[in-house]
Amino acid sequence: MISRVADHCFWLGRYLERAESIARTLNVTRDLALDGGFEPHQCWRPLLIVCGEEPIFLERFGASKIADGEIVQEFMSWDQQNPDSLLRIVSAARENAKAIRDLLPMEVWEICNELFLWLTNGARTTFLEERYEFYRTVRHQVQLMLGLMRGAMIHDTPLDFIWLGLMIERLGQTARMLDMHHYIFRSLTPAQTHQEVETAIWLSLMRACSAHESFLRQFQGRVSAQTAATFLFLESRFPRSVRYCTHVSYERLCDIRSPSERDLPGHRALECLHELDEWIAQVHPSQMKTPEIHDLLTHVVNEATTASNLIQREFLGG
Amino acid sequence: MPGEPSEYKPLPGGYDELVGENGQSRAELGKIPDLFLKKTPEDLAHTQNLAELSLRNQGVTFSVHSDQRGSEKIFPFCHIPRILSSSDWASLEQGLLQRLTALELFLADVYGEQKILAAGEVPREMVLSAKFFLPELVGVKPPHRTRIHIAGIDLIRDPQGNFLVLEDNLRTPSGVSYVLENRLVSKRVVPQALTEARVRPVDHYPTRLARILREISPSSTDDTCAVLLTPGPYNSAYFEHAFLARSTGIELVQPTDLYVDQHKVFMRTTRGPQRVHVIYRRIDDTFLDPDIFRSDSLLGIRGLINAYRNGNVALVNAPGNGVADDKAIYAFVPAMIRYYLGEEPKLAQVPTYVCARPEDRAYVLEHLEELVVKSTDETGGRGMLMGPQSTPEQRETFRQQIEADPRRYIAQPQINFSTCPTLDPKTKQLVARRIDLRPYILTGPSGSWVLPGGLTRIALEEGSYIVNSSQGGGSKDTWVQQAEVSS
Repeated sequence: MISRVADHCFWLGRYLERAESIARTLNVTRDLALDGGFEPHQCWRPLLIVCGEEPIFLERFGASKIADGEIVQEFMSWDQQNPDSLLRIVSAARENAKAIRDLLPMEVWEICNELFLWLTNGARTTFLEERYEFYRTVRHQVQLMLGLMRGAMIHDTPLDFIWLGLMIERLGQTARMLDMHHYIFRSLTPAQTHQEVETAIWLSLMRACSAHESFLRQFQGRVSAQTAATFLFLESRFPRSVRYCTHVSYERLCDIRSPSERDLPGHRALECLHELDEWIAQVHPSQMKTPEIHDLLTHVVNEATTASNLIQREFLGG
Repeated sequence: MPGEPSEYKPLPGGYDELVGENGQSRAELGKIPDLFLKKTPEDLAHTQNLAELSLRNQGVTFSVHSDQRGSEKIFPFCHIPRILSSSDWASLEQGLLQRLTALELFLADVYGEQKILAAGEVPREMVLSAKFFLPELVGVKPPHRTRIHIAGIDLIRDPQGNFLVLEDNLRTPSGVSYVLENRLVSKRVVPQALTEARVRPVDHYPTRLARILREISPSSTDDTCAVLLTPGPYNSAYFEHAFLARSTGIELVQPTDLYVDQHKVFMRTTRGPQRVHVIYRRIDDTFLDPDIFRSDSLLGIRGLINAYRNGNVALVNAPGNGVADDKAIYAFVPAMIRYYLGEEPKLAQVPTYVCARPEDRAYVLEHLEELVVKSTDETGGRGMLMGPQSTPEQRETFRQQIEADPRRYIAQPQINFSTCPTLDPKTKQLVARRIDLRPYILTGPSGSWVLPGGLTRIALEEGSYIVNSSQGGGSKDTWVQQAEVSS
């Protein structure tokens, strides 16, 4: 497969996953902020940190605006200068999809194109009048594309690269999201540290990671910092956990180039993911508590970045 | 005229939840009511459409038995909330906790030593003749001594603004899922008002419930298996059963999934039998166990009550609670509070004539036209005579029924209970509609907790007093404001 094409596949996967994740997180954070009990900045600031956009936001709007959910949502949805705004992400996904139109099922390209056209014309009204519907449409269109690709493409190298991009992106998102919620948890004022507020934080995290029902079933409704972290970090059967995403990233890469063929490109990326996978298998549920978990998650985020950079360098000529 | 807010007129002589006697928004609610009252009819209709679309998409429905097609209907919802100030709520909460404590003690007593009957505070024959009193369970102590794990107390507000208890629901009170779903709708369609009103969240109800289910387990809490027992998808409240199972993370089971062996309850799974320790059952007492109650019942789990008697399974709520929410026993709750707690009731209730007492019966039969007559063991607004709105034929029917079986009837004066601005679906105008309130109280070994808010039901017809969902009632979100944080 041509490296350039692989590059487009990889980034299509990453951008689609990022669009879905940001749309979901914006909606969930908005819900959290609407429940009394939190100061607005306690909800919106961590979101900007997770997306890595806090410095740009502060520079543009100043520290006081971080408590203004409307400005944060506007910035994360529409801002042309914010590379992680939904508009820019969907646009980037579309550029990648366009470059591999020949490879994608027609429907996938069409949905991607429609989503972009809707964002540039029409979605603004939905955003202003029916915010929930706006985020929901973004999420649903992305999920539709992912499902169509899995259901209609040959499970071969192009799809492997799309899925590798998606899983690496998701790995980072889950790890940062978990870290962000531990950060909110630690920043609670004494007046806020009671069951109601804590439950709200962890259930909000689960919704942000599409894990609400699965998590509750797994632990029969036990909601705590520890059960939440154990689930999102270690649960090997949940498709958004740190462990699952790492393992599947490794598997996809193995399918792209077998570990036995040492001379093919991608050897170091493969080793990096393999090591991370083995390291996670050693992590014990007893380590899933604040503040220790921050160091573990930082390691995961750093290694995911390293793996992504290696993939970029070794395969894609970046 | 388009573009102008419609003029809202509360009913004369009643209490309105959002608008005071001077026609202005109630001072204690700040400017929040005006966020709704000052909207144009077009804006209100637009928001209402969004709310209804949202409920349809969420699948928030209930099935109506009388409907031939068995179709699913949306529980009618009005997006204009009922708002309660933090101080109103605080005193209401105290009253509810006091009442619950007394009712719990009453049940322990009635199924134990029966001291209150010996003392004559509650007539013995009244208790023993209650339809839902289960003599089989006298002497049985439930795991962790709690019987009313989930209570729903129906309240109305009189013209002076006092809350009155209308009835207690201590068996399987329903409706809490609508409280949570209604809040989701509010978040979607009126986020701005919700933010400004600083409303206490309701989201953590399922987590609290799940914890109580674990805490009352006869097993050590770590390997406890709790399940929610539903009659199945054809039950009118199935939506709620599925909702609660999903949001507590417990298994939703039907009677045929369970069986009893050697006084222990098991669930049939693909990995063989699995022991069940706690059953949150949404099935009436009489359908729980054909061995004990109705041998003709196809529902039910044979041997369940014996497993319960042996302390091997916790039932939520405990069987037999119906004796305490019998509408004739209701008249004696203030006496229970004085007897068990040595306190005066903090929450008032509606004066009640108990037809089993000859002097009460004579009064009721003479004043049928003024009174509301209720059958003591029916729910959902069935078996009722609304005297002031009734025909002579209806009154005659009730006269005969009361004379034939006085124990089954009570009567109360009709209270002109409070209204709340409600959007009339036809005219798109704000109209005054009567509402009640059902707060939910969870009780476990570590104490009781009241969900801030509860289900506000609306009588949708003009002038109507009937709020029951099975008879055309609707609901509103209930907003309890946060107490001001003193710094």
